Amino acid sequence: MAGLKTIIALSFVLAIGFLLVILSSALFGNYFPLLVVATYCLAPLPNAVCSRWSNPDDFESTGPGLDLGRFLTGFFVVMGIALPAALAHSGIIQVSAMVMSILGGLLIYGTIISFTMFFQEESDF
Amino acid sequence: MSHPFRIPVKLPSSATCRSAGVYTSGALFSLGFWFFVDAAVYSKVANPGDVHIKFPEWIPLICSVLGMLIINSIEKSRLMADSFSYSGGDVAWKAKLVLFMGFAMLAGGLAGSVCFLILGYIVPEYPWPTLYFGVANVIANSLIMLSCVSLWLSQNIEEDYTYNLSL
Repeated sequence: MAGLKTIIALSFVLAIGFLLVILSSALFGNYFPLLVVATYCLAPLPNAVCSRWSNPDDFESTGPGLDLGRFLTGFFVVMGIALPAALAHSGIIQVSAMVMSILGGLLIYGTIISFTMFFQEESDF
Repeated sequence: MSHPFRIPVKLPSSATCRSAGVYTSGALFSLGFWFFVDAAVYSKVANPGDVHIKFPEWIPLICSVLGMLIINSIEKSRLMADSFSYSGGDVAWKAKLVLFMGFAMLAGGLAGSVCFLILGYIVPEYPWPTLYFGVANVIANSLIMLSCVSLWLSQNIEEDYTYNLSL
């Protein structure tokens, strides 16, 4: 059992992550940092889609379909950091907005990954 | 299995190394791509001078990405085939030819970006913010090359703890 306290703590961290991202765009009136949330919500999807697609029944740990999902996930995770850095470098968003949105995005992504790990452990028997 | 070192160091399994290699490859590819996009956006939006990144500077990047796709679509067992293996003797030289084309496009992309840096930015002696556009192009192409290397190596890790890294 994952523990009620763990689930509450993870939800709290997710809420802080969303708060940071919303603040990073609302404080400066510029809504580009919300793209970071979209990127980090997209990031676990290729792994999930490709693992369902390539092995619906048996468990298989390697293969080109799974590799594509992992490649895309790595791409999106770094994009979530690189996109705000590129926007801040060109002056489209402020540097503090960039820092807040990167931290918030990483917290959101970390929470999603922790939730998937906890649910997988529960279903192993 | 006896340990390769005097102190029994536990090496990670080949499946973990392989996934780590694929994730690293995606991360390097993304880093390279976004360096170039950052330079392109900066040249359009916040440019202090009047030199912009135009379409021909995207061509080395496109070339490198195509080369990477070609190289990683080849199954390594087809390269080492001889007339008695399951792929037959014909497939080996065709696979080697395609691999050569892929490597040529990857190296051509990197060389093209270095050309753009030298001819377009170093020779006219532009100052730093403008010089960054050429440097970012070279960085992007070399990171894509590293990403391709990482993906090729990790896809060819065999089972049973053997790391057959011969090309």
